[in-house]
Amino acid sequence: MARYGMALDYKSCINCKACESACKEENGILLGADKHRIWVGVNDIAGIFPDLSIGSSSFEPSQCQQCDNAPCQEVCPTSATYYDDNGVVRVNPDQCILCTYCMQACPYDARYIDDRTLTVDKCNFCSDTRLANGETTTACQATCPTKVRIFGDLDDPTSEISQVLRDREHYSLKEHLGTKPKLFYLT
Amino acid sequence: MKTEISRRRFIQGTVALTVVGASAAATALSKAEEKTKIVDFGLTKTSFSTNVQEVPTLCEMCVNKCAALARVEDGVITKLNPNPLFPKSRNMLCARGNAGIQALEDPDRLKFPMIRVGERGEGKFMRVTWDEAFEYVKDKMVKIIDEEEDNRSTIGYCAGEGMAEHTFQSFMNKKIGLKNFVNHASICLATTMSGYALTIGGYGQADLENAEYVIMAGANRAEAIITPDTMDMFKRTKGSGMKLIVIDPRFTNTAAHADKWLTIEVGTDLAFVLALTYVSMTEESYNKRYVEENFSDFEAYKKHIIGNEYTPEWAEKLTGIKADEIRKVARDFMAHAPRSIYYQGRRTAWSLQDFQLRRAQAIFSAMGGGIDQKGGIIFGDNIPLGKHEITAPLYTNTLGRIERGKAALIGNNGSWIAWRNTIIDGTSPYPVRALFAYKQNPMLSVPNTAKTKQMLEKMDLVVVIDTMPSDTVMMADVVFPESIYLEREDPIKTFGGAEPSIALRKKVVDAKYDTKPVIEIMRGLGEKLSKPLFEISRKYDEDLQEEIDDYDAESVFKDNGYDLADGFRHSQETINHHMVTSKHGEEAWKTLREKGVYYPNMDKYFKKLTVNNYEYYPEHKKSYSVIEGDLVNESYHDTCVDINEISVLKKTFRTETEKISCALYNLEEQKGVDAMPKWRDELYTPTPKGKFKFVTGRHGQFTQSGTSNNALLLDLLPENYVWINSRVAAAKDIKFGDMVEIKSSIGSIQIKAYPTEKIGNNVVFFIHGFGADSDELSLAHHRGANDNAIIEDKYEAIFGAAAMHETIVEVRRV
Repeated sequence: MARYGMALDYKSCINCKACESACKEENGILLGADKHRIWVGVNDIAGIFPDLSIGSSSFEPSQCQQCDNAPCQEVCPTSATYYDDNGVVRVNPDQCILCTYCMQACPYDARYIDDRTLTVDKCNFCSDTRLANGETTTACQATCPTKVRIFGDLDDPTSEISQVLRDREHYSLKEHLGTKPKLFYLT
Repeated sequence: MKTEISRRRFIQGTVALTVVGASAAATALSKAEEKTKIVDFGLTKTSFSTNVQEVPTLCEMCVNKCAALARVEDGVITKLNPNPLFPKSRNMLCARGNAGIQALEDPDRLKFPMIRVGERGEGKFMRVTWDEAFEYVKDKMVKIIDEEEDNRSTIGYCAGEGMAEHTFQSFMNKKIGLKNFVNHASICLATTMSGYALTIGGYGQADLENAEYVIMAGANRAEAIITPDTMDMFKRTKGSGMKLIVIDPRFTNTAAHADKWLTIEVGTDLAFVLALTYVSMTEESYNKRYVEENFSDFEAYKKHIIGNEYTPEWAEKLTGIKADEIRKVARDFMAHAPRSIYYQGRRTAWSLQDFQLRRAQAIFSAMGGGIDQKGGIIFGDNIPLGKHEITAPLYTNTLGRIERGKAALIGNNGSWIAWRNTIIDGTSPYPVRALFAYKQNPMLSVPNTAKTKQMLEKMDLVVVIDTMPSDTVMMADVVFPESIYLEREDPIKTFGGAEPSIALRKKVVDAKYDTKPVIEIMRGLGEKLSKPLFEISRKYDEDLQEEIDDYDAESVFKDNGYDLADGFRHSQETINHHMVTSKHGEEAWKTLREKGVYYPNMDKYFKKLTVNNYEYYPEHKKSYSVIEGDLVNESYHDTCVDINEISVLKKTFRTETEKISCALYNLEEQKGVDAMPKWRDELYTPTPKGKFKFVTGRHGQFTQSGTSNNALLLDLLPENYVWINSRVAAAKDIKFGDMVEIKSSIGSIQIKAYPTEKIGNNVVFFIHGFGADSDELSLAHHRGANDNAIIEDKYEAIFGAAAMHETIVEVRRV
C-alpha cells in the first residue's frame, strides 16, 4: 500500500520525447499522435524576432495527473475506471464500454482510445508493467536524459518525492477544479 | 507561470502518422480491415514472463553509444532501458535509444545478400547466398585491379561512424591496400577537432557538469543530443548553476534554456569571436598568469587582433550583434573564468572560414585559463585496452589519394566533396572504378546529391554494407546486409574523460535474418579475394616478385599478410576477450559481460545518490587536470577522429613545448594557411536582399538518414518542415503547412512551411535526414525534403571540409 505521485522538475525538460517513446515501448501503446499516454507540451514563444521572450518558451511534460478526486472515475458508468490500492487511477478494459464520458470529463485531456483493447486508456504509472515486476521507477522517469521526474510514495515521509515536495515550491495543474492531482510541478 | 497545453500538439497533431500495414496505400479499407492491418512494430508490452534476461548492450541509434539494458522475454526484446553503470550516458536513454527495437523489427530491413538485376538505381535486386555475393564481388574486383595493374586505389571506400568502422577500414586499407577512403569527418567535425588539437593540444571535453558560463554558438545540445554534455548542462540551466549564452540564427530548444540568446548573421561567427578577443585583450581581463605560463606567441596575436581593429563595432556590422552585447559577453566570460567555456561544437562544417573560427574560439576560451581545469575544457584519462594486431602487406603499385592538393591538409579520412568531385570532373590522376560503402548514405549525407549520383553511376562496381535499403543501397550492385547492433558483438571500446570506463556492445538476440556483422563480412571477402588478388600483385609487383624468388610464394603469402582473412578469423568475442584480459584480467571480462561496463574499483566507487542520480568516481578520483608538460595523447576522443593523424598534424605544425598556440607559422610557411585567425572578407558572402541563407541541423528524434524509416520516431516527428520567418512568409502568402519550393544554384526541393518568429528574415532552416527517394523505405520514402539536394558543394581550403551554410536560396509558394 502506497500513495504514488510524481514530481516534475519541468524546467530541465528539453522536449526530447524520450519519455513518450519509453512509455510506448514499455506499455505497448499503439503508434499514432493521438495515442500518447504522456506528452510534452510546448508553449510557443512570445515576441517578434529577434526580441523574443525566452521566459515565455517552456516545455511542460504532461499526462494523467493521477487525481485523488478524479472526474473520469466519477463519471464512469461501469466503474471501469477505478483507484487501485496505491491510489493510482486505472482502467479495467473488460468493463470499459467506450462511452468516452471519461474523455469528456478529464480536464487534462489525458485519456485516449486504445484500438486493440477497445478501452479508453490512460497512464497508470507503469503499474501493470514495471511496478508489477518489482521496479521502483516508471519508464518515463528511468529514461529521462535530464532527470525531470521523481516518482515515489507520497505517504512515506522519507521518500525522495516527499522530501522534494517539502523543500521546493511546486504547483499542480488546474488546482481550482479541486481534482487534487498527484503530479507536482517544481518551480 | 502556469500554462495549459493540450495533448494535441503542433506537428504531431496536424500530421498524424497512420501506420497501416507497411505501406501508405490505405485507401478504401473498412474500419475493421484497418484494425487488422495495424502493424505493432514490436511495440510489445512488457510482461511478467519468468523467462526474463537483462542483457547489457551499447546503443547504436546515433553516435553516442549510450549503455542500455535490453529486457529479453522468451527471446524477444520488449524494452530497452538505460544502464546506470556507464558514466558517459548517465543513466539515460533518449527517444532514439528507446526506438532501437523498431530498428530490429523494421519490416523494410535488408534481410539477405542481393545482387542488382535491373539498371543501376532502378532498385531491382535478386536474393543470393553470401557465397554468390562474395564471388560476384571477387570477379569484378579481380578484373578492375588487373586492368589497373595492381593500383589498389582504383577501389574507393567510405564509412559512416560506428564501432565496427575500424574493422572495415583496417580490412580495406591495411589488408587490401586501398588508399582512397572518405568518411564522415569532412562532412562533420574535421575543422573543430583539428582546430582545437592544433591550438590547445586536443579537442577535449567541455566539463558542462561544472562550468559556470558557457557560450554555445550554433551547437544545439537540446536537440542534437551528445552524452554526457546534454544531460550535464540542462540540469544546470535556467538558474541552476550554469549561465548559458546561445548564439544562433534560430531560436532552438537550447536557446529556450539560455540566459541570453543572440541571433547572428550566418557565417560571421569568426568576427564575433575575434571581437570578444579584442575586448578581453584591450581591457586586460584575461587570465594573465595562465597566458604567461602557457601561451606561445600571445604578444604577436595581441598585436594582430588590435592592429586589425577587430573591435565590437566592427563585428556589429558583420554579425548584427550589438557592440555592447559583445563587450558584456566578453566581460562575463572572463569574470567566470576559468569555469567558462566557448563550446567547441560538433558538426562544424559550416563556413569557408570554419578552421580559423575554431582556432579563435580555442584561444579565446584558453585566455580565461579554463583548459585542463574542472569547469573548463578537460582532457581526462582513459583505461587502456590490449591490441589486436594484423599483418599488412605492402603494395608497390598502389597510388596515393586522388584529391590531394585540393585542400591544404587532406588526411586519411579525405575530403568527401573534393574526392567525389575529382572523380566526376575528370581531374583524377587515375580512374576510381569501384566504391565500397559501409554504414554511410552519401546520396543523402554529402552536399549535392546529384553529383553523388553521377559519381555512383560512373562506377564499375558499387558494394554497400548497411541495415536499411537507403538511397545509396538503391545505387548498389551488391548489397551485404549487416546485422543490427542488437544482433551482434562489436569491438570493445574504452571511453576517456574525467570518469573513464570501458564498455561492451554484446549480442542481445540472434540475427533475425540472413545478415552478418562486419567482421564476418570482411572474413568472407578475405577468404575469397586473397589468392586471386595475390596473383595480380605477383604479375605487376616487382618487389613481391623478388621476395618470392628469395623465399617461396606460399610463405610470402602467409607471412607478409596477403592472406586477407587473417586477423578476421577469430570471433569478435575472442578478440575482445584478449583485449580486455591482457590488461585487466578475467574478472574485468566477467564484469563486462554481465554488466556491460567496467572500470577499476567500479564496485567500490559506483553509488546510487538519489532515485535518478549516481556517482561513478569520488570527486578526488576524477581526472580533471591531467597535463604534466605537453599533452601528448588525448584520452577523450571518439571513433570520429583518426588519433594518429591528429598527432602527426600536431608534430608537424606545433612546436613540442607549446601548450596554447596562437600562431602556427609552420602551417603558414608550408601550406599557405593564415598563421593566426584572420577575418577574410573574400570568404564571406552576405545574403542578397530578398534571398536567404540555408542552414541545416539535427534533431533529438532523428539521427540523419539512418533512422528515417523508424516507425516510433516518425510517430514523434513525421516529416521535416522549413522554418521561415512568419512576417516574411506572410508577405509571400505562405501559411503553416503550405508547400514551398526552396531553390539553390544546384537544385530545388519542395517542403512544407513552418512560419515562425524563431528565425530571422534572411535565413531558412530545416533538419537533415528526411527526403529519401528509395522505394524500399516504405515509411521514409518521399517524406519531407533532402537538404543535400540544395546544399552547394563548397568546401573550406584547409581540410576540404564541407561548408554547409554557404548556400543562398530562394523561396516561393507552390
